[in-house]
Amino acid sequence: MDRQKPESFNPIPVKERLTIPRQNMPEQDPNIRNGNFLEVNLGLTEDQAVIEAQRCIECKKPTCIEGCPVSIQIPDFIQLICKQDFLAAANKIKEDSSLPAVCGRVCPQESQCEAVCVVGKRFESVAIGRLERFVADYAMQHGNGDGSQSNRPEPTGHKIAIVGSGPAGLAAASDLIKEGHEVTVYEALHEFGGVLVYGIPEFRLPKAILRKEVANLENRGVKFIKNFIIGRSMTLQELFEEEGFDAVFLGLGAGLPRFMNIPGENLNGVYSANEFLTRSNLMRGYDFPEWDTPLYRAKHAIIVGGGNTAMDAVRTAKRLGAEEASIVYRRSEEEMPARNEEIHHAKEEGVAFMNLVNPIEFIGDENGSVVAAKCLRMELGEPDASGRRRPVPIEGSEFIMEVDMVVIAVGNGSNPLIAQTTPEIETNKWGNIVADEDGQTSMEGVFAGGDIVTGGATVILAMGAGRKAATAINQYLKTKVGSVA
Amino acid sequence: MSLKDKISSMNMSEIVEMCIDQEQQAIDLYTMAMDQAKDDAARQKFQELVDMETVHKVSLKSFEIERYIDLPPADLKVTDYLMEPTMNDNLTTQEILIVAAKREDKTAKMYQDLADHFSADKKLNTFFQMMADEELRHKHDLESEYEQEFLPEG
Repeated sequence: MDRQKPESFNPIPVKERLTIPRQNMPEQDPNIRNGNFLEVNLGLTEDQAVIEAQRCIECKKPTCIEGCPVSIQIPDFIQLICKQDFLAAANKIKEDSSLPAVCGRVCPQESQCEAVCVVGKRFESVAIGRLERFVADYAMQHGNGDGSQSNRPEPTGHKIAIVGSGPAGLAAASDLIKEGHEVTVYEALHEFGGVLVYGIPEFRLPKAILRKEVANLENRGVKFIKNFIIGRSMTLQELFEEEGFDAVFLGLGAGLPRFMNIPGENLNGVYSANEFLTRSNLMRGYDFPEWDTPLYRAKHAIIVGGGNTAMDAVRTAKRLGAEEASIVYRRSEEEMPARNEEIHHAKEEGVAFMNLVNPIEFIGDENGSVVAAKCLRMELGEPDASGRRRPVPIEGSEFIMEVDMVVIAVGNGSNPLIAQTTPEIETNKWGNIVADEDGQTSMEGVFAGGDIVTGGATVILAMGAGRKAATAINQYLKTKVGSVA
Repeated sequence: MSLKDKISSMNMSEIVEMCIDQEQQAIDLYTMAMDQAKDDAARQKFQELVDMETVHKVSLKSFEIERYIDLPPADLKVTDYLMEPTMNDNLTTQEILIVAAKREDKTAKMYQDLADHFSADKKLNTFFQMMADEELRHKHDLESEYEQEFLPEG
């Protein structure tokens, strides 16, 4: 179906728009922010947002929408910013995305919507992510009525359980409550948000934003229950039989830390990125002794890996007072999966990068604490399945460096509990739940989406999966369970 | 009697039978591990290994030395520095891949050693080189899979 071009509110002629420079987002000074946990990026001002929106050339065929995993109507919300109707712009985004303030901060726009922006072919692409963040923050500050009681639809009488309160679960809950179903979100931890809370540091995604999103959903009628572990607190079968749910959505995430299987990984001072970041982010270890969870202040912390998790961990270590905080990565910077912005910020904050280096052993002292890492130097060979050039060890290049903290950030696996406790749910050889493109699993009435199905991916993809599953659940309730009203 | 001395006294079909027996041992080991594994994901991975070794065993029965192409696969060395888990009924898929890749590595080295030892005998040298390459190819495939799944950010 052809989409209707939005009404233009941009007074600037198209040719002149291309001469407007991309608006830089104000941020904390690197030498100040590397000592605190406050948000690094400060957001565009209203004037900056309007100027940035005016850079959009209103393409006939807006490729930016195709670049967005949830097909946000980007040209429409940009025109509403030009009109300075920021609340309408926020509502336009919310038609397709449940968590714009989150996605505006953590989505890799440079490889999605902005990567295919037509302006970006010759100039810098329109800063779509920054604009998304601006309108979402504006709406939060000014209240866009999203959580109003009067918006509630007629109850259908259907009960749906959402297991996991990460991006997939929250997106599914948001869509399902709109339909008038009774929706309950179960969370294993003591705060809601899943990886957005335990995985992403305060300096990149303030917890207050998530709490507002959760409060919004609560105001719209979603019930939230924490400290509930599916497979332990209650089985999936019990959710149906004892709690009377008609359908269940599993958005359990990929929260199982992976280790390298090299000698010395059990030494004191060697953390998984999950544990290290959970201690800091969720348990507020950075506020010790105000909060109960201690975190080691290292002289030299190394973080093994080159993804966003590694960048979050190394920047956290720096902020916790490490004299030296280094990324140890077995490929070169070109192959790093982390966002360019995160690498750039880490460097600005004084993080060292040891590329083409791979640890092969951690060495401990008589107390069992890590004191050194034995490493190998690598060189790049042919590309692997991911398209990145493969690192090859250089024979005889072993060297030892002193370290007193190590964080392993090479990837995460899926939570194994559901496969162990619910044999009806089919899983693949990696332990991920097998689901069709609508999220339907091998168990009737049970849907799944996000990292538990795909393995570790992005927030926006998880949200997209949650929304798709919500549509499928609606259909399932209509055809299989029938109307109870 | 050493393996090399033993091979020197065997004819070609006996040598092929010995190699087929080596593959059968791997099939038996992975089948037993699959039967004992508690985890469904582990069972699936062991089944894949059984299939891989079965294909090699079957292909050995009809191999033709003349068709050997001297194009050895790259040794990625991804698992060379990793600790080898001991076989048990609770191995993770990650550990299974390490066990299997290290096993292929040892077998490849054994065949390479035999190929080098019998360098003067063209037929034997080519046969063992072919076997070494095939084991290294298995190791390459297992390590590629390992990298993709267990080192996505590494």
